[in-house]
Amino acid sequence: MSPVNDFGDRIAEAIKHPKNLGEMAGADAVGTVGSEDCGDMLRMWVKFKEVDGKRVIDKATFQTFGCGTAIAVASVATELISGKTVEEALTMSSEDLSAPLGALPPLKIHCAQLVEEALRSALAPGGEPKAEKNVAPTLLQRMQSPAREKKKIILGPSNE
Amino acid sequence: MTRTIDPNTTMAELLSEYPGAQRALFRNYHIGGCASCGFSPNETLASVCARNDDLPVEDVIATILAGHEADQKMGISPVQVAERLNAGESVRLIDVRSREEWDSVHIDGSTFFTEELMRAMMSDWPKEAEVVFVCHHGVRSLDAAAFFAGHGFQNVRSMNGGIDAWSLEVDPELLRYHLE
Repeated sequence: MSPVNDFGDRIAEAIKHPKNLGEMAGADAVGTVGSEDCGDMLRMWVKFKEVDGKRVIDKATFQTFGCGTAIAVASVATELISGKTVEEALTMSSEDLSAPLGALPPLKIHCAQLVEEALRSALAPGGEPKAEKNVAPTLLQRMQSPAREKKKIILGPSNE
Repeated sequence: MTRTIDPNTTMAELLSEYPGAQRALFRNYHIGGCASCGFSPNETLASVCARNDDLPVEDVIATILAGHEADQKMGISPVQVAERLNAGESVRLIDVRSREEWDSVHIDGSTFFTEELMRAMMSDWPKEAEVVFVCHHGVRSLDAAAFFAGHGFQNVRSMNGGIDAWSLEVDPELLRYHLE
């Protein structure tokens, strides 16, 4: 199979210059997937506005500390949903949300699904919750875990 | 006897027997790195392969079995790191320990790893940048090196034995410590 570092130019560009990255003050809705405790997550903020008597998405932003492809998909997805009603946005599949990037490599499709889940979490918080995913600690969690562990630092080697 | 792995073994069992398996999976197949490509501890290796582009299980098993050797290739000794830094080579030493550990002791010239730095590395750093990760004992730095290798970085290494080995082998004046 082809190496995983063979990213398409569109994905690389979206990762390099992500749109709508960052927390949004005064957002009307927030959705999160992944684990907040370890920072390995994707969060989406959404603000609405009224247009011709319809409530539509004015702006959406995101934050993620995960995979670069998730950043790329979230970047294009937040642009795509702007101007749509909640109902319209909820009809969009992960393929729709990542369409501007072209077909994702099969191993990256779950990155788009993560964005779709975050969007659904923000737009349909009262909806049927998906079953909690039981995910084993990821590499990202493993390398970040010391920041969450509160242990006492004793100068000098251990006596063990 | 040739070692092998049962495709029906769960990921929890696999990681217990082969601690480097997750690094091998992410380096080679982008599996298990973050929430979007994670796997359940109860899934079998065969099912993980099936839902990831129907990866050939036998190929994946061979990759996992070769993972230990791949981990070793990512390692670099503290003495080698010091020699390269002293020679003025553009090696970036990145410390993935906690802020408290960093504040207590760190290697001169190293950089503390933050989420902002990670984003900058992913978006701005050349994929051929020479990066050496360091932690306390050289385990988490190996995870970090594998994570970035899985994202296409070609010259990422992990300092064997971590900052503790640096104190022993390179700079005895850098205080050793332990965690309780």
